[in-house]
Amino acid sequence: MRILDKARLRLRSLFRRPDVDFELEAELRFHLDRLIEENVSSGMPPDEARRAAHRKIGGVAQYTEECREMRRVRFVEDLVQDVRYTIRSLAKSPGFTGVVVATLALGIGANIAIFTIVHGALLRPLDYPKPDRLMYLTAEAPAIGSAGNPLSAREYIEFRHMTQSFAEVGAYSTGGSAYTTGEVNLTVGDRPLRARSVSVDAHLLKALRIQPERGRLFRDEETARWTGTLPPPIAILSHELWRTAFGGRPIVGQKVEIEGRPHEIVGIMPPGADVMDNHTQIWLPLWLHPNMASQREAHVLYVVARRKDGVAFEAARTELSALLENWGDRVGATEHVPTNRPLRPVDHTLQLRPLQDAIVGNASRPIWVLQAAVGFVLLIVCANLANLVMARAGSRRREFVLRAALGASRGRLLRQSVTEGAMLSGAGGILGVWLASAGVRALIHAYPTSIPRTSELTIDLPVLLVALGLSTGTALLFGFVSLGRRRSSSMATALKKGARGASGAWRHSAHRGLVIVQVALAVMLVIGAGLLVQTVYNLTKIDAGFDRSRLVTFSLTLPMANSEPDTRAQAYQRVLERLRTVPGVLGTTAMSGLPPNRTADAIATPIENYTRGDGRPFEIIDYYQFVMGDYFGTMGIPIVAGRGFERTDNASEGKVAIVNEALANRIWKGQDPIGRRLRPPGGSFGAGDNVWHTVIGVAKDVRQRGVERPAGTELYVSLDQHSVSPPSMNVVMRTTLPPVALSATIERAVSEVDAAVPVVRLRDMDSVFAESIRRPRLLAQLLGAFAGLALLLAAIGTYGVLSYMVTERRREIGIRVALGAARSRVLTEIMKQGLQVTALGVTIGLVGTLAVNRLIASLLFGVQPTDIVTIAFVIAAITAVAALASWLPAWRASRVDPNVVLRDE
Amino acid sequence: MAKPTDLVQGTLDLLILKTISLEPKHGWAIAKRIQQVSREALQIQQGSLYPALHRLEQQAWIKAEWRPTETGRMAKFYSLTRSGRKQLERELANWVRLSTAINIVVQGA
Repeated sequence: MRILDKARLRLRSLFRRPDVDFELEAELRFHLDRLIEENVSSGMPPDEARRAAHRKIGGVAQYTEECREMRRVRFVEDLVQDVRYTIRSLAKSPGFTGVVVATLALGIGANIAIFTIVHGALLRPLDYPKPDRLMYLTAEAPAIGSAGNPLSAREYIEFRHMTQSFAEVGAYSTGGSAYTTGEVNLTVGDRPLRARSVSVDAHLLKALRIQPERGRLFRDEETARWTGTLPPPIAILSHELWRTAFGGRPIVGQKVEIEGRPHEIVGIMPPGADVMDNHTQIWLPLWLHPNMASQREAHVLYVVARRKDGVAFEAARTELSALLENWGDRVGATEHVPTNRPLRPVDHTLQLRPLQDAIVGNASRPIWVLQAAVGFVLLIVCANLANLVMARAGSRRREFVLRAALGASRGRLLRQSVTEGAMLSGAGGILGVWLASAGVRALIHAYPTSIPRTSELTIDLPVLLVALGLSTGTALLFGFVSLGRRRSSSMATALKKGARGASGAWRHSAHRGLVIVQVALAVMLVIGAGLLVQTVYNLTKIDAGFDRSRLVTFSLTLPMANSEPDTRAQAYQRVLERLRTVPGVLGTTAMSGLPPNRTADAIATPIENYTRGDGRPFEIIDYYQFVMGDYFGTMGIPIVAGRGFERTDNASEGKVAIVNEALANRIWKGQDPIGRRLRPPGGSFGAGDNVWHTVIGVAKDVRQRGVERPAGTELYVSLDQHSVSPPSMNVVMRTTLPPVALSATIERAVSEVDAAVPVVRLRDMDSVFAESIRRPRLLAQLLGAFAGLALLLAAIGTYGVLSYMVTERRREIGIRVALGAARSRVLTEIMKQGLQVTALGVTIGLVGTLAVNRLIASLLFGVQPTDIVTIAFVIAAITAVAALASWLPAWRASRVDPNVVLRDE
Repeated sequence: MAKPTDLVQGTLDLLILKTISLEPKHGWAIAKRIQQVSREALQIQQGSLYPALHRLEQQAWIKAEWRPTETGRMAKFYSLTRSGRKQLERELANWVRLSTAINIVVQGA
């Protein structure tokens, strides 16, 4: 009760202050009147009585103030006063306020946006129970530079049985060998959909410790029995797909058509459940073809394991190393067993690393580079603000000194200026958080797959705490700069009109120092951005080996479950024929892997009269390209020797193949490859048996897996000749029409052939290329934006400091002009000062660049971190900007009219 | 004649609480009453009285209300709250203990 009473009183003191003061006054007046009455009744004349009473009561104002102190709300009242005063004084200089709040918002906003990504993608633990115990096991073949590969099914099972360090070891697959290609056709109502899928075994779900939101997960026996020709027809839906495609209605236990086969939905995953940032929508039971499951060469399973409690990462590693010592002896195998010492190209080893590292992968470096960049931007912002505040404090020196003379205590003045700083940085911070959340949303929208773990990115408590920290830091900076500035001003000199502060030299060098820091940081950022822009330019200019203009592509999947290789081939032929007759379409073809962004096949291919270095009669070919129709003509790939596929080949008995230059050079080393024979395994594309193919031509190399990677070895097989087809194909058309104009025609052509098959990834080839370099492009765009911001801020800083110096030296300049100094000389002198500062900044920035640029070397393509052209260009640009920023104040100085100045002073 | 500053620290609060414990009084009456009861020995200055009244009110030990005096003029009357009554008991007990102790020391020496 008493607390409530007190609170009520404090609130009254705060918000009804005029009433409270009026009551106090009335009370004191009552007292005074009674005193006067008493004096009168004791016989004094009225005037005398009044005077005596006043004498006795004393200084009313003083104890009125004492009474106010008793109200215990003085602190709040002062604060309110400060805030009011700050709003008034900031409103009086909207330019200053606007610049400060805007720079702060940009600086803080950029930092929060990037920190959201750093925190959400890199720092925050994965969304599983005890995520630090989760490990990722991969196969590495260092001799051929191949890393992060899946394990073979045998290896996975052997590891499960042998290891003691792990409580649970599970596997998943997104590849074609596990029946799907990481995507499945799904029929909802009469609408065909394509959904991202993953095939998991029950152990994996246990290792991740995912609990279903509804229904159940897979049972051990449903995911471990790899027999027959098809997996059990059951599936689990992601929460998100269940909501969007099925409207969240009860579906567990019902049948849904997946890959043309009814599947029972056994469960729904909780929101956000995923594996390896796959954006999984449908979870299927892991199933491998029995042949695939027994082959040691077939690397198809990704393995995730949960360490037992009390087993350290190092211990698990040591155990794996011990297992690798004699893996073959332990499991009774001699061929293709993992080893600790992978020396030959066919050898591989196994590697364990934390699951989180594996998920973030190589995205972590660009993200940290961005964080460093925005950190630089914030430093520049702070330097700029320090300069602004110092200049403002200088011009308000007399005001402060006057207030001190009128009795404001030093602490009170400091509190006032900290309040000002807090309000400015608070406004900047709030605006910054808003900017950041808008920015992050826009970023995820524009680049949904370039940043890892985007589904989990939010501005949450830790991020807001960082924002608060940044804002508080800048607020303190304001206070300190103002304090330092004011301490140097003595009351008397400041009050004398026109007097110069004794610490002018110190102040000028402080201003200059801040500008040098700004320029140095801007130089580093702009050079970094320049190198990345150069990288993106190089990437877009790469000749991928085919003519990418006027190409439109889409992809189709005819599910294995309800189609045969030969019926699929007929279906694709019909689609191609329909599209060929569309006006504006100049050529059509279909291929199994769409360059330049496909996955590698790495298929061991027997070659006639050939033995490899290690004595084997085959070569591992990086890419198999199974094509239909006029592939080379439509894609614009030159045939450098021999000929391309022709219609007459389709009927002929002898099977033919085309190799790329890289394969021809690898195997036949300068000899004529035409007429040589190799035997691609028929199972790889749906043909029944392995037959010898005769090489009829050599095609120019085409970049297959990223434009920045060298082209690998490639073998082309004509599916028209075999009349079979793998389930998924990419159709490419050479056409003058854009994808949107073709969309309806394509949908119709496909639905006439098979209404249950969705058309996916319909786009032009330029979009495919843009997609392949999205990460460097995103990095270059962001870094470019930050560098531009840094440059602008540094220019503003240079301009501001020179302007301030010119204002302070107006009198001196005026006198010199009056004494006959040439105006051009004044101009050169001021500009020289600006450029000197810039030159120092550039030098320091260059040293810094050389020190840290090797950190971004791995992000560059076709340009060295010390690229002299980029650096020279950046220096020229920054000098030009600095010259412009110095010229304005210098020009103003040279226009100083001595008459006006001398009269003013 | 003792100045208020000579009063033992905190005794002014005790005097005020005690004075208004019987019936609500305004500031003038409180000062007068203390003066009369102490046979003019204690004179309470306005400079101490009103800040003290404010403090006690902010502590919610006393509450104030505007009422007409016998002459019809409005004045601010202070009375004890329930927690104020407890506080008076506490301060009285303290005072008795303190004054007894001081008496023993002063007279026994």
